[in-house]
Amino acid sequence: MKKFLSMLLALTLVLFAFTAIAESVNPDDIPDEIVAEDGKYELAFVTDVGQLKDKSFNQGTWNGVKSYAAANGLTYKYYQPANGDQATDDDRYDAMKAACEGGAKVVVCAGFLQEAALRKAAETYPDTKFVFIDGYPIDLENVAPIAFKEEQSGYLAGYAIVKDGFTKIGFMGGGGGTNPACCRYGYGFAQGVSAAAKEMGITVELKYSWQYGASFSASPELQTMAQGWYENGTEIIFACGGSMFSSIVSAASANDLFVVGVDVDQSYESETVVTSALKGLVNATSWAIGKFYAGEWDEVGNIATSLGANDDAVGLPTDTWSLESYTIEEYEALLASIKDGTVVIDDTVLEADAIVNAGLENVEIIYE
Amino acid sequence: MMETLFENLTSGSMVFLIRQTLIYAVPLMIVALAGVYAERSGVINLALEGIMIFGAFIGVLFVRLVQQWGWFDAVKAADNWVGLQGFMLLTMAVSALLGAIFSLLLAFAAINLRADQTVGGTALNLLAPALVLFLIRLIANQNTLQMATGDSASWFMLKKSMFGYGRTDEVGFLFDTFVNKVYLATYVCILVFIIMSVILYCTRFGLRLRSCGENPQAADSLGINVFKMRYAGVTISGALAGMGGFVYALTTTNCTSNGDVAGFGFLALAVMIFGNWKPLSVAGAALLFGLFKCIAASYGSLYVLNGAGEQIYFLKDLGINTNFYRLLPYLITLIVLAFTSKSSRAPKAEGIPYDKGSR
Repeated sequence: MKKFLSMLLALTLVLFAFTAIAESVNPDDIPDEIVAEDGKYELAFVTDVGQLKDKSFNQGTWNGVKSYAAANGLTYKYYQPANGDQATDDDRYDAMKAACEGGAKVVVCAGFLQEAALRKAAETYPDTKFVFIDGYPIDLENVAPIAFKEEQSGYLAGYAIVKDGFTKIGFMGGGGGTNPACCRYGYGFAQGVSAAAKEMGITVELKYSWQYGASFSASPELQTMAQGWYENGTEIIFACGGSMFSSIVSAASANDLFVVGVDVDQSYESETVVTSALKGLVNATSWAIGKFYAGEWDEVGNIATSLGANDDAVGLPTDTWSLESYTIEEYEALLASIKDGTVVIDDTVLEADAIVNAGLENVEIIYE
Repeated sequence: MMETLFENLTSGSMVFLIRQTLIYAVPLMIVALAGVYAERSGVINLALEGIMIFGAFIGVLFVRLVQQWGWFDAVKAADNWVGLQGFMLLTMAVSALLGAIFSLLLAFAAINLRADQTVGGTALNLLAPALVLFLIRLIANQNTLQMATGDSASWFMLKKSMFGYGRTDEVGFLFDTFVNKVYLATYVCILVFIIMSVILYCTRFGLRLRSCGENPQAADSLGINVFKMRYAGVTISGALAGMGGFVYALTTTNCTSNGDVAGFGFLALAVMIFGNWKPLSVAGAALLFGLFKCIAASYGSLYVLNGAGEQIYFLKDLGINTNFYRLLPYLITLIVLAFTSKSSRAPKAEGIPYDKGSR
């Protein structure tokens, strides 16, 4: 019996080994925690507010770190600043410090909120390289800021859903209306909605809110609010803020209605997701880390990199396309005209309710 | 005139308001009753918040594990909602059981060791979130424990589509309010609330339990085992609070647990006090609070119909700062407490450890 069991065990192990080789690696399947023999971790990730596994911003960036590490056999580790949503600059700095002391050569920091802590850390550890996702140059050579043209991604999503026949649309954003990335997403989304409505000669309704998303978290209040919107006719909500997704999906699911995901393809998380406004976090993160290992840090250090359609860093997921009236061909034509500059999208950061006065046509904006 | 009134009372806005109010009110109500049970038996249960947090965690963990084991995969695939409701009831029972076990810590400290009950309760309130977060980090590698697949609405919510209606079919006011888009858990809680209230007031056991909270010496002299009664009070309290915790997580946070129930346990204490330790008043107080909580989160979606059938979004049109609406539930609690606390009467012997020797 014992022999039989050990045979079985050996067999399963072999099988597992084979499947591991056969399958292409899904970043989510790479373990989040590994143990390095010397206790040093070369690649480090410091999370933004919200969860590591937020199925969105943090998770996408983390997957970029993990895929690079897995492909190149490097050690990696993530650090979550203490105090969760209420993390202070000191908490963030402590996380970065722990990363540097833990042997990190490259520290990836997600979110523009980390600026103050990052500045301090980068000055204290000049030999360590930092990748500042959603960031901007802060006059330090060892910090590589990577930003995205979220407005393009938002535009594509907004345009697509109106073309698909949605006329009552919602936007719920995170960061309380001051997060530049979310503001760009929101304004781009509204521009896309407006452009499509204008082409179709209709007027659509767009509810727009920054409430209950200040810390990018799910909450009963957010769920009730989304429920209220769906009950009053809103057909689809752009859930633009990390874990807010969970509350909005719950409300959408209750009403058999729809959600637009953000940052990564979220259709895997819920059947209510018809499309997602993507930003290429995985690729951008591993690209920036690659620059360091290729000895080309000069090309990214302290240089504002803004990745958009031309870098294939924004768009909608075509593999999981579920829109019916609006086709992938139409989408790709629009993407091409963004690339060649025929369609220009305003990338102004419109905070809070500034969108109401943006003069968008064919769209009735209801700000809440 | 009458017609407009009737239309308003059966409008979509009213349906929404009633449904959402119940969602907020029911966990509060059941947890406040948990408080009533403990205090009526003579033990102050400050640990309601902690037990709720623990119950929510256990419930979510159970759902997650069962999903991973695949026990209900076939049921879900077949859209057999009766089976899924069974899964939910089972989870409620598990949360209640573990909540009861967790509350034994308080019972042991307060009854056997005669420790200060306030301190004991506070200790559990500190212990629960820390323990739960620690376990969640071990299990899920982050601060939030979620379902393994899907969301709470697609697994556990009752929807009209289950009864053969299409998404745009009219189903009538009563069906829409009380059957469509509600959780069966809400009604189970209301039923449990009624049964437990009847037990407290109309049975021999209830009378004995209450007597231990008023005058345990007298009860003891009549042959009632005060220790046993107080254990019963605290255990029932733990079971109700644990179940309430899971119901809270299920209906308001998409079946996730993160070591926090937004202070609902403490609110339940306030509800219990301004419900004057009486189930009926407790239910009223919970509904009042739930109503304002709902208004706070969705004032922008509430409308009244005027004579011409137009939707007037009166709360939004007022243009008051949104923070005011968020403040409302707590403001109302304070005001009502200020007016009712004079007449409120706590069980006489609550908080005093029972000592056979003292008279």
